[in-house]
Amino acid sequence: MAVQTAIATPAGQAQRPSVWSRIWQNDAPGYLFLLPWFIGFFGLTIGPMITSFYLSFTNFDLLQAPQWVGANNYIRMFTADPKFSASMRVTLFFVVFSVPLKLAFALAVAMLLNRGIKGLPMYRALFYLPSLLGASVAIAILWRQIFAGDGLVNKLLAMFGIIGPSWISNPNYSLWTLIILSIWQFGSPMIIFLAGLRQIPQDMYEAASLDGASKWRQFVKITLPLLTPVVFFNAIIQTIEAFKSFTPAFIISGGTGNPINSTLFYTLYLYQEAFGFFRMGYASALAWVLLALVGLFTAFSFLTSKYWVHYDD
Amino acid sequence: MVSVANRRQFLLAGSALVAASGLGGLPAFAQDTRLRLVFWGSQARADRTYGVTDLYTGEHPGLAIEGEFLGWADYWPKLATQTAGGNAPDIMQMDYRYIGEYARRGTLAPLDQYVGAGLDIASIDEDQLHNGTIDGKLIGISLGVAAGAAVYNAKALADAGIEIDPMGWTYDDLKTKGAAFAESTGGAVALAPDGSGIELLFENWLRQQGKALYTAEGQPAFAAEDVTAWFKLWAELREARAIVSPDEQAIDVGKLETSPLVRGKAAMNFTTSNQLVAYQTLVPDPLGIAIYPATTTGSTGGHYRNSSQYFAISAGSAAPEQAVEFINFFVNSPEAAALLGVERGVPASSAMRAALAPSLDERSQQAVRYIDQLGAIAGPVPPTPPAAAGEIEVALKTKSQEVGFGMQSPEDAGPAFFDEVVATLARAA
Repeated sequence: MAVQTAIATPAGQAQRPSVWSRIWQNDAPGYLFLLPWFIGFFGLTIGPMITSFYLSFTNFDLLQAPQWVGANNYIRMFTADPKFSASMRVTLFFVVFSVPLKLAFALAVAMLLNRGIKGLPMYRALFYLPSLLGASVAIAILWRQIFAGDGLVNKLLAMFGIIGPSWISNPNYSLWTLIILSIWQFGSPMIIFLAGLRQIPQDMYEAASLDGASKWRQFVKITLPLLTPVVFFNAIIQTIEAFKSFTPAFIISGGTGNPINSTLFYTLYLYQEAFGFFRMGYASALAWVLLALVGLFTAFSFLTSKYWVHYDD
Repeated sequence: MVSVANRRQFLLAGSALVAASGLGGLPAFAQDTRLRLVFWGSQARADRTYGVTDLYTGEHPGLAIEGEFLGWADYWPKLATQTAGGNAPDIMQMDYRYIGEYARRGTLAPLDQYVGAGLDIASIDEDQLHNGTIDGKLIGISLGVAAGAAVYNAKALADAGIEIDPMGWTYDDLKTKGAAFAESTGGAVALAPDGSGIELLFENWLRQQGKALYTAEGQPAFAAEDVTAWFKLWAELREARAIVSPDEQAIDVGKLETSPLVRGKAAMNFTTSNQLVAYQTLVPDPLGIAIYPATTTGSTGGHYRNSSQYFAISAGSAAPEQAVEFINFFVNSPEAAALLGVERGVPASSAMRAALAPSLDERSQQAVRYIDQLGAIAGPVPPTPPAAAGEIEVALKTKSQEVGFGMQSPEDAGPAFFDEVVATLARAA
């Protein structure tokens, strides 16, 4: 439309506007409307990223000007920081166990809801609710109460004569408590699975049952292969989320990652270094390593996806 | 027809917007001075503090004080970020663990030039002035005197038929009476929390033996064997069931509400004397206050009269004189003292203590008496801790949990923790 306006300029005009002013006149409204996004993108994303990359090569304590230290921060991380490796172990353990379990649970619930039961919208909303609340401070505090030594879980166990430990404060269980919390927030992958299940043509199932295929066989041979693009999408998103997981560990351990660093998530350690001990440069380096790790993981997933993700073509 | 704002109109509108936003940031009256005041603490502390700011600004037209308070854990990240952004508040509450860090980096204004000229320190205790002096410059004005103290549930002890001498009990008492206490409660409640991860308690124990946490140069003033002995002491107490289980202790994340005392899992907590009033609001039974256990009967030198917190002024404050005058009012006027009570500790000014004494409630008087009675039990105030002190405090807690949960023996944990301290101090230097 803008181009047409330019062409429609009366040909008999004595002074033709220059190319630049024409471009300006035509595109200015577009850029004007994009301005808030540009400000946000450059001011709040690109700018801080460049700053953080620079800071990752410095010692910066927030109070004094940063001092250039070269690659020291990265070197220390991989050679002389036991808490870095500890937090990496905790995070990888969390990713490896929480993501598959959460996806399996989400798929199972989606299959149940897909049967066209009564009041489906209500169930959908109900199951989605934990995902909305999941990362919030309130839920983490609630979780703390439920899994405390004299909390709900242990009261239930006591009915069966089992004396439960204090789940959140015992290093053998605390990380599992956080994994269970993460699985409980299965709502958003579930909704996506549900949408994916709806896309599968019903006549395939009809044909399969005419051929005498069992429900399990139908699931393995029809549902799962046709759902792989959705599984792939969910796995990528949930893994990135799991790597970034912060709030529940922060609240449940009071920001310490204790007991014995068993809930010291990578992001929690990063936060401690940055704001607890004022090592902003080192924290920036930690952040870039996390970005690289997530990037590598995602690239690997995309490269291997062609062997197991089937697109409908 | 497509209507396009021409360039001039666009620029005009833009500059009007900029002008409007710029105006919005200005105070309504140009002669007004605004002071920003930040502190950490509870709602109770905020109510008392705002009482004083309201009183002060009421007497000083043209001055506005914007107060803001946060929890301890949120306070330091925010203050550091504001300071880094050149947007530090004029008046900030400081802790002894951080004041050296901030002062040595030039972010706090020295107050020596205001002494006698807006700042009256005549009646402020010598040791409290010493506490707030960093590298020879007066930086922080003490807001209250506090000392390490064990706060205990007097009713629970009486019910169990246990008595401790508040100013003279020992670690041996903790063991034998703790075992008896556990016996009488059927193990449901322990006499004390697991103090092996509490830095103040460890420091107290070291000082009773003539050692300390840090030297004035910021080096460790204890040895690896001391840490081993400390962890062994608590292993014995754990064995005797005098203290809570590691599970129970790990739930405590340093807030009053999560402490074993408030949760009813222990009859005691190792804290500081100014917290007595706060604990009493959370525990229905009457509380008592005692010293940290002595290593031997009559042992002295462990405790010291610390500053619970300070007020300091930002080096970048636009109105340091007004800020000093306000702090002077805060610590030296009887009206302010009456509003503040002993919530931040016993006032550092002897004149304020005298003015306050008659109006205090029973629990506050108890806290004041405790500071008075410390007398010879208390030793000199230790030097300002090194920059990494906060990090080492966290490390002690983590190490104590490793020993508590049986993942490391005291013999291994002692040298391991000591090495960690040395490495942390070296990195921070």
